[in-house]
Amino acid sequence: MSPILEFDKVTIRFGGLTAVSAVSLAVGPTELAGLIGPNGAGKTTVFNLTTGVYQPTEGRISFAGEPSAGLRPYELTRGGIARTFQNIRLFKSLSVVDNVRAAMQVHRTQGIWNSLWRGGAFLRDEQVVEKQALELLSIFRLDVVRDEMATSLSYGDQRRLEIVRALATKPKLLLLDEPAAGMNPTEKLELARLIREIRDRFQIAVLLVEHDMQLVMDLCERIHVLDHGTKIAEGTPVEVRRNPKVIEAYLGEEHALPE
Amino acid sequence: MKHPGARRWFLVAAVLSLGLGWAQDRLDPYFVDILTRIGINVILAVSLNLINGHTGQFSLGHAGFMGVGAYTAAALTLFAGPKLLPAGAGFWVEQLWFLVALGAAGLVAALAGLLVGAPSLRLKGDYLAIVTLGFGQIIAVIFRNIESLGGALGLNGIPARTNLFWSFAAAALTVYVVTALVNSTYGRGFLATHDDEVAAEAMGMNTTRYKIVAFVTGAFFAGIAGGLSGHFTLTINPKGFDFNKSIEIVVMVIVGGMGRTVGVIIAAVLLTLLPEGLRMLSSASPSLKWIGETRPLLYAILLIALMMLRPQGLFTWKRKKGAVTA
Repeated sequence: MSPILEFDKVTIRFGGLTAVSAVSLAVGPTELAGLIGPNGAGKTTVFNLTTGVYQPTEGRISFAGEPSAGLRPYELTRGGIARTFQNIRLFKSLSVVDNVRAAMQVHRTQGIWNSLWRGGAFLRDEQVVEKQALELLSIFRLDVVRDEMATSLSYGDQRRLEIVRALATKPKLLLLDEPAAGMNPTEKLELARLIREIRDRFQIAVLLVEHDMQLVMDLCERIHVLDHGTKIAEGTPVEVRRNPKVIEAYLGEEHALPE
Repeated sequence: MKHPGARRWFLVAAVLSLGLGWAQDRLDPYFVDILTRIGINVILAVSLNLINGHTGQFSLGHAGFMGVGAYTAAALTLFAGPKLLPAGAGFWVEQLWFLVALGAAGLVAALAGLLVGAPSLRLKGDYLAIVTLGFGQIIAVIFRNIESLGGALGLNGIPARTNLFWSFAAAALTVYVVTALVNSTYGRGFLATHDDEVAAEAMGMNTTRYKIVAFVTGAFFAGIAGGLSGHFTLTINPKGFDFNKSIEIVVMVIVGGMGRTVGVIIAAVLLTLLPEGLRMLSSASPSLKWIGETRPLLYAILLIALMMLRPQGLFTWKRKKGAVTA
């Protein structure tokens, strides 16, 4: 099967700094992929390149077989890329359900006259969107807090709500930027189960950046390793843990497997 | 306002303004004067709140759009009207022409809003404040230099068309349109843009478009308020639409609470009444005369105290039950 996301020798420079250098990678259509590496390796930059926040200086990025150069973030989201953020970025003046509805309107917006006239079609459409949003929330057991303000949720719930909000855009590829950051071991186990369930249920690809090696090794089918902006390894969790370059640059002896 | 009841409220407001228009001649003129100004200020504050409050873009040029509307409407009733309408046209023709003038005032102001907003709203950050500040200055200079619009002296002898009906009906329309927009897919777009532009774009929102819709809608109603204001004071000049006027409107929004329509309406009413109240107080007895003399100072102290004690605005309540504002 052809990959959903493909980087072909992608380089980006900020002035004299080369943040990502000739990185190639591919993510399959329903793959659980991981992106690991030490701080400053360029992981979040890869996310920002994928979502159109940055444009590559050299190389090509393709999404679903189409080159994605020149498209703005919201256009790529419409095409099927959704993401969460390293530092939670929920809409703080919207309630839980409205955070999800806001993301849903990527495929369903009302014209300005409909919004002003508020006729039957408008109200029915609003109800449909609300119902879908609640269904999605109930999968993640967040429907009980539907009317709370998003920022009043617990930290773990905010992280989950961010994933729900990303899913509400009906993505083909979900990017998770350090989803387990700040979670306790129980929450991490729950998160791993959740991510796997998302992939199985929605049949989408997931690419995640994460520092918790236990989670990454348990969850990911394929792992890409970055160091100083270049890709130093790729493979299954077992292959990566045996790779001496990865052990030296990032993993250390703790997670290493003997060759 | 998720239910069709909103339109019912709008009807109630429209009927109320008809009643007020009818009662106009039976009420104390001073009272009518204040009520009319309240209506105009509600339009200005609620429309600016859509830009500065809900969408989080800081505009300092609302009075400029008001000026564009005021001059457009005045030119239509003062110059174009007598040429186009049959001589000795009756009351209804005059009123209808005023409606056309108000519509044109809104549209020309909206066009000006589009010209100013489209380039600056593409950028993230506080560029809009600088650009609108410049726009306010430029528009005043332009009016000062157009001789056919009276130059620095402005226009005089504008027909008295604004009454309680027009003032309140336009205010009701403004509140309705802003509330309806905010409670729609647009509203979630405005608020999401206000909260986090990067996240909003990542969720598939064209934030530039939402910002422009809010800005142009706000400019439209500022233009209408300008048209009403000109046909109420009967004389307009470039100075009336300068930076000070813009700040006056910004203060109403801040006192009321950014993004809270009800709070902003209350603030517009109170801030229209406050100078009158202070004036009455100072003329009540000779020992209170100092209040009148230090009025601007008192006003400034009140604002500073507000910013220190309640920076989120005076009239803000929890938005949703059980919600904790962080």
